[in-house]
Order: sequence, then structure tokens, then C-alpha cells
Amino acid sequence: MIWVETVVNGMLLGGLYALVGLGLGYAFGIMKIVNVAQGDFIVAAAFLGVFLVPWTPVHPLLVVVPVAIISFIFGILLQRLMINRVLGQDQIPQILLTFGMAIVLRNGMVELYGANSQSINVGDLRFMGFDFLGLRLGVLPVVILGIAVALFAGLHLWMRHSRMGRIIRATADDYQVVQLSGVDYRRVYGIAMGIAMALSAVAGVLLAMRGSFTPYSGADRLLIAFEVVVIGGLGSFWGMFAGGMILGVTQLVALKLDPSSGLMWGHLMFLLILFLSPNGIAGLVRR
Amino acid sequence: MPLLEVENLDVFYGDFQAVNGVSLSLDEGQTVAIIGANGAGKSTILNAISGINGQKKGSVRFAGEDITRLRADRIARAGMTMVPEGRRLFTSLSVEDNLRMGESAARKGPWTVQEVYALFPRLGELRRVAAGSLSGGQQQMVAIGRALMTNPRVLLCDELSLGLAPAIINDIYRCFDRIRDTGVSIVVIEQNVAQAVTAAGYAYCLLEGRVSLEGATSALAMKDITAAYFGTEKTA
Repeated sequence: MIWVETVVNGMLLGGLYALVGLGLGYAFGIMKIVNVAQGDFIVAAAFLGVFLVPWTPVHPLLVVVPVAIISFIFGILLQRLMINRVLGQDQIPQILLTFGMAIVLRNGMVELYGANSQSINVGDLRFMGFDFLGLRLGVLPVVILGIAVALFAGLHLWMRHSRMGRIIRATADDYQVVQLSGVDYRRVYGIAMGIAMALSAVAGVLLAMRGSFTPYSGADRLLIAFEVVVIGGLGSFWGMFAGGMILGVTQLVALKLDPSSGLMWGHLMFLLILFLSPNGIAGLVRR
Repeated sequence: MPLLEVENLDVFYGDFQAVNGVSLSLDEGQTVAIIGANGAGKSTILNAISGINGQKKGSVRFAGEDITRLRADRIARAGMTMVPEGRRLFTSLSVEDNLRMGESAARKGPWTVQEVYALFPRLGELRRVAAGSLSGGQQQMVAIGRALMTNPRVLLCDELSLGLAPAIINDIYRCFDRIRDTGVSIVVIEQNVAQAVTAAGYAYCLLEGRVSLEGATSALAMKDITAAYFGTEKTA
């Protein structure tokens, strides 16, 4: 039973990992932009969450709403004022730009908050648990998985059925030709980056509720995001979700067997999948 | 006053100049053809006029406004759009979603999804199908429909016949009458001279980025066109 519980807990963690990857994968899938600063934005969103929690009414969990809105606006500004200026065939300027932003952001956070470990306090919720079919599960991880699933499903449906979703998908297919239909792809890119930032920010806040973070956590977060996106296969929503699950389950099962291994087995699983199917899970299904 | 007037257009790809001092004009309701061999600069001209390629000199005037420096999406909203070479459909969208993209131009006019299905009945049956899985001819119909959905005043058509069977090419060109009836003026690019001459009232022949011959299609002799097309003898 203890193993079943470990696997279930791994899936609860995996849903959150999937959400960490979603922002990165969404931005890459649409704009072919690798945002190296994504990990540090995730941490910055967590700091923003710490800052806003005292003013959040009803329940600290709701802090994700203002953080997501602020990050959405920030993402639009980031894309329109900076990244749109370095678009082109050559990807190096984008990577240099976001890499530079990552350094500025990380050091800015150290300057403001110091290097201490922090966490977002969600009160009693953090310690609450319940029994389900003989398993002992935490309420917070289940709620977080629920949020992750809801965001994946919501984004999927919105992209499929809304007018803006259609425009974003068309822009991802061919950003030059959408102009012939009267669409300004720079504006669409702004909205897509806003969504990517909002998703990442929610992931960052939820991670900070489950565990702790420092201004240096960005690199770890970015690595998880990359692994989720690559395991899932670029651009596939449900592939990414499965990628997060695989990472989460592998990590917790490995920690049970070898408590000092940290994230190592997750990374090894990533390499194994990359070796077996270079196009990720989605590539495996397509074949 | 012509609806579209291009004067002394130079177009560049980096340091390479692909089009050299081209002037052409299109009157309301007219159909004009640009013919020429591979690499003569035909597509380059349309990409420059539609705003996709911004590396240009000279002037492009549309409905009396200077649009030389206008972005492609603004030009589409102003009423001029293009059916791009190779069709370039949004492959992850369905046929109907491809057509509906044209609504983004927010222009009122006769063309709706229903009207496009009336023009190409086959598309109505395929409306839910992913655009990438269609045959070449069906894809070309979607590309034309998508452009019409912006309710353009000027439609620029880049090599509609590329890679299509002759019977299908005839089907597609047969629709031009319907399109013209709704008041759309058309510029077509063709490698297929016979096709272009029947579809258009006026033609420009391009050779190495310059206009080598122009005139009303009824007045042009095939011999002169051949010479201007291949550059076998100097024509003005």
C-alpha cells in the first residue's frame, strides 16, 4: 500500500511539474521562442505571491489570481517591448536576451529578499489530509493537481474553440500568412506570452505553497520545465501532462528507494526517454 | 485614377536586388497578369506589394493612399490581400477555421463562409476536415476562399496553377468571373502564359526583375511574349 501511496503522491506532484512545463512549452509551440528566463520568472512570481498573501481575502490559495493577472500583463509587455524586437531567423538574440533577463532577475531578487529560503504560508491547509481508499493523501497536493488539470483542460478547450485560440493556432502555423488575413502577429505573440507567463506564475506560486524556494531556484525550475516539454514532445498539451506525471512519479519512487538521490532519477528517466524516443511521448504516439 | 499603382519598385533580399524599377497599375474591376519564368521576380513583387517583404524602394499606392511603408496586416485591413505561393494554409486548422481567419480583417462585404461554399461546393462537404489533409486543388480553393473572406478590393494571386492538374486549374480559373462580379480587382502571377492571357485583360512580362513587355492581352503576339519571357532577343 505504501507503494501505491508513493505513486499517487508522485502523480499529485507530477501535475504541478506539468504546469511548470506548460508555460515554456506553450510559448515555444507558438513562437518557437526558448525563454531561458522562464525559471526565474517562476521564482519571481513566487516572491510576488509571498508579497501579496497578506492582502489576499478569503483564503491564501486565491493569491494565484492576482499573481496570474499581473504576470499576464507583464508577459504582454515583455513580448511587445523586448522579445518582438529580436524575432527572426536567428534564435541566438532571443536566447541572449532572455538569458540576460534571467541574470538581472535572479540578482535583483537576491538584492531585495536575500538568499534565504522562503515559502508561501497557506495556513492549516498545508497539514490537512484525508483518507481515500485506504490511502492517506494531503489536501493541498490534491487541490493543486485539480488546479493543474483545470488549467490544462481550460487552455486546451479555449485554444480549440475560441476565436482568439484559432488566431493563435493559425499564427503558430504561419505567422507571415496570418498578416494577409489582417492579423498583427506581434499582438498575438504578446497575448501568447502573457498566457505563458500567467501559467508559469501560477505554477511558481503553487510550488512555493508545497515547498520552499530561494532566489536561486530558477535553474531547477527551468530544468523541470525543459524536461516536461521534451518528454512530452514539443507542442503537445497532453504529452506535457504525461511528461510531468512521469517525472513526478519517478522522483518520489526513487526517493523512497534511495532517499539521498534528490532529483537524479528524474533526470535519468528524462535521458532514458530521450534515448528511446527523441520526439517524446507525442512522437511515440504519432509513429 | 488606378486602384493600385506601383512606381519604380525595387525589392531586395539582403544585398541582392531581385526587382528593378518595376511600375504597374491596376484599375477597378480589371484583371492584370504578371508572367515570367522562374526567378524573374514575380512573387517578389507581390510579396512587396502585400507588405510581407518590407525591403523595398519606390512607391505603392492603393486607393489613393501611399501604402509603401504600411505593415501587411494593415494592408489586408485596408482591402488588399494575397493568395500566397504554395497556398500556405493553416494546416492544424479545419477548412472552415481557415476560412474564418479572413474575418480578422473586419471588412464588410459580399463574401461569407456560405458564399465561399457556394463558389466551391466541395469545400462545404469538407468543412470539418483538417486543411493539411486536402488535395492540392482543394487546398488552393481554401486559400482563395480565405483571401476572399477578407472582402478585398484587390486580390493578388501567386501561381494558382502551381503543381495542379490542368483540369483542376481550369476549374479554379473558371471561378474568376464570379469573383470579379463581386467587384474584386485581380492581379495574377503565372508561369503558364496561355492561362494568364485568357484570364487577364492586361499583362506584364517580367525578365530578370524588370518589365520586358507589357500590353493588352488581345494586342500581344505570342512571338513577342516568348521573346520577352525567355529574353531571346531584346525587346523594350
